[in-house]
Amino acid sequence: MERKDFLKKGFSALGFAAIVPMISCSNNSVDPETTTETTTGGTTTGTCTTTASETEGPFPTKSPASYVLNDITSDRTGNKLTVKITIQNKNNSCAALAGALVDIWHCDAAGNYSEYGGTGMQSTNYTSVHFLRGRQTTDANGLVTFTSIYPGWYSGRAPHIHVHVYNASGKSLLVTQIAFPEATSALVYAQGVYKSHGQADTKNANDNVFSDGVTTELASVTGSVSTSFELTHTVVVSA
Amino acid sequence: MKLFRLCYRKIIDIQSRKAWDKMVFDDTHLEFYMQAQRMDPDGKYSTFQELSDNVPGADQLHYLASTAAVAYIRQLKDVVPDIANAYGKLCLPFKNFRFEIVESHITDKMKHKIAIWFYSDPLTWIDTVNNQLLVAYGDQREAFRNGKEVETDMISLSPFLSISHITSIAVPNFQSVC
Repeated sequence: MERKDFLKKGFSALGFAAIVPMISCSNNSVDPETTTETTTGGTTTGTCTTTASETEGPFPTKSPASYVLNDITSDRTGNKLTVKITIQNKNNSCAALAGALVDIWHCDAAGNYSEYGGTGMQSTNYTSVHFLRGRQTTDANGLVTFTSIYPGWYSGRAPHIHVHVYNASGKSLLVTQIAFPEATSALVYAQGVYKSHGQADTKNANDNVFSDGVTTELASVTGSVSTSFELTHTVVVSA
Repeated sequence: MKLFRLCYRKIIDIQSRKAWDKMVFDDTHLEFYMQAQRMDPDGKYSTFQELSDNVPGADQLHYLASTAAVAYIRQLKDVVPDIANAYGKLCLPFKNFRFEIVESHITDKMKHKIAIWFYSDPLTWIDTVNNQLLVAYGDQREAFRNGKEVETDMISLSPFLSISHITSIAVPNFQSVC
């Protein structure tokens, strides 16, 4: 069946013929009287594909993934936490590793992670796609800085932040987690949006990830619930 | 008269030549590579198909890789690429899209192939002229009913462009014959 025949029949079958009397122009009146097989200006003859004759519009600009954020708070509430992670390279006398890609993610005050969608439809104007997930590239000092909130906790795990370090080409160098000082977490979880969820049910020593020792995973956290917190931590990779 | 949406499934692979396509190709491959390593830390699987077959939750990779394309999709200013009207101008407004990894390989970028499904905003379907749809943008059914002049456009159906949604006028209720 010819494509146009199919279309005509298909549309008629959908009841489309019923509106034809409303339209003043028929097929004949639309067709130019002196139709030839040549195309002009990107229009179509037969079943060829129409080609846009204009440019692509504004030249595309190199743009980062939507994870690349300094402030990963999104719509979550909690005590402000600045996360400063320094990446060092064991293979280079523990010198700062510049240009490394650092992904972090953690749960919100209620212990929930942002969902990862599957194959569903997305919208161009939807901005809060993910919360408390972000990526930064280390500077010359090996440092990345994120603005976030103090993580909450969920049953069976001590409070933590996930960290994934890649080299500049995207090759995975290390997956690790950062543990929190328990006394600080206890102060945070006793107030504000954390209070209703209560105190964490798992200590670092009992955590299945940190129980082998948190010497290299325990962050330094300063600040107070009345102001804000700052986390500093060094992650050593072999790059 | 019907409201409908067109959907254009744009394929991007190693053959793609436009600057926009190549940026989306490069960045979504990097994101796929990075995220695949997180899902498969031991590096047992190389292809998207192998990951899908063996790693629970691998279908998240569609969404995860899409995060590298979102900024480029926004650069389109809500106009579907490639699809032109009878004047040869890009014409289809959209706000919704779906991102699909068709196939990929963590290190062999030549095998990376993705598709972006662009769903147009609603159009009013007026007529079909040869292989072209005569349409008006938005819901113009009321304007037609009121006899108003409505600006129209003509769009050819072409490969990878299809009608994805239709809204018809409500069917009148049938009277009971008891």
